[in-house]
Amino acid sequence: MSEHHAEEHHHHISTDRTLWTVAIALFILTIVTAGVHFLHLPNPWSIIVAMTIAFFKAGLVALVFMQLWWDRRFNGMLLFFSLVFLALLIGLTLLDTLFRAPSGLS
Amino acid sequence: MANHTTTTQSRFFQHHFVDADQQFDAAKFGMWIFLVTEVLFFGGLFCAYVVFRAWYPELFVEASQELNAIWGGVNTVVLIGSSLTVAMAIKSAQLNQKKNIIINLAITLALAGVFMVIKYFEWTHKFELGIYAGEAYSYGGLEHPKASVFFSLYYLMTGLHGIHVVVGMGLMVWLIVRAYKQHFDPEYYTPLEITGLYWHLVDIIWIFLFPLFYLID
Repeated sequence: MSEHHAEEHHHHISTDRTLWTVAIALFILTIVTAGVHFLHLPNPWSIIVAMTIAFFKAGLVALVFMQLWWDRRFNGMLLFFSLVFLALLIGLTLLDTLFRAPSGLS
Repeated sequence: MANHTTTTQSRFFQHHFVDADQQFDAAKFGMWIFLVTEVLFFGGLFCAYVVFRAWYPELFVEASQELNAIWGGVNTVVLIGSSLTVAMAIKSAQLNQKKNIIINLAITLALAGVFMVIKYFEWTHKFELGIYAGEAYSYGGLEHPKASVFFSLYYLMTGLHGIHVVVGMGLMVWLIVRAYKQHFDPEYYTPLEITGLYWHLVDIIWIFLFPLFYLID
């Protein structure tokens, strides 16, 4: 569906089937991420798996529940750029805090 | 699918808009701008989290043992369920099923209440142990000298999130009252739509808070 012209703009109506499918997928992913936690993966993998699952879940919520998949692209772009600026905030801050002399840690 | 290029006038249609669709899109656009500010509002705290976790990785592993991953997981399921019911409420309005709007909103409100009750028990349990934020921290069970830093972040981030849940509960009450007054139909359900967007964002933030605090290994 990509006929988002101002003069012919339909509101998307989600079906029960779609909403329940996404919700069940989110429930299963929650169980998976908690289950992986109890496996105690070696160091970098624990956070990588947990964050990958979290981003996937957030994507499902944003695209289906928040209807960005069917919405005007501009709204999705707003969310995208908020995340870009958040990445800039965290990235530029880390450029400072990761490279301080040990005495500056306190 | 209501194809309303020729506007059927809802009583909530405001005259300065060209048609109901433009009014709807403007409200939704405004809500998305607000959600951008919310991302950056929480973003400052996520940034602080990343900085301290990079500095004291062993602290986060040790201190997160004090959090109960089962209750965190239950709360995740509760919030996802409430996102589902909000989406169902919007769908009900689009299909003009007025009773279902109220039922779904009421379930959402109840689930939000369950979330806050679980949070209440989690927090008060920590208070009893002396696990407070900042200098009030007096718990002796953790070795790490910076143990209070983890819990300061925990209280700030879950606290700000909890405030958003409480605000959302107020909005749900407001929507239930309006739905009860028959304000919503396929031509006008803007408050449902934009409150839904807010509620889903609150859900998304919890989806990140859960692994970042409860599932550290």
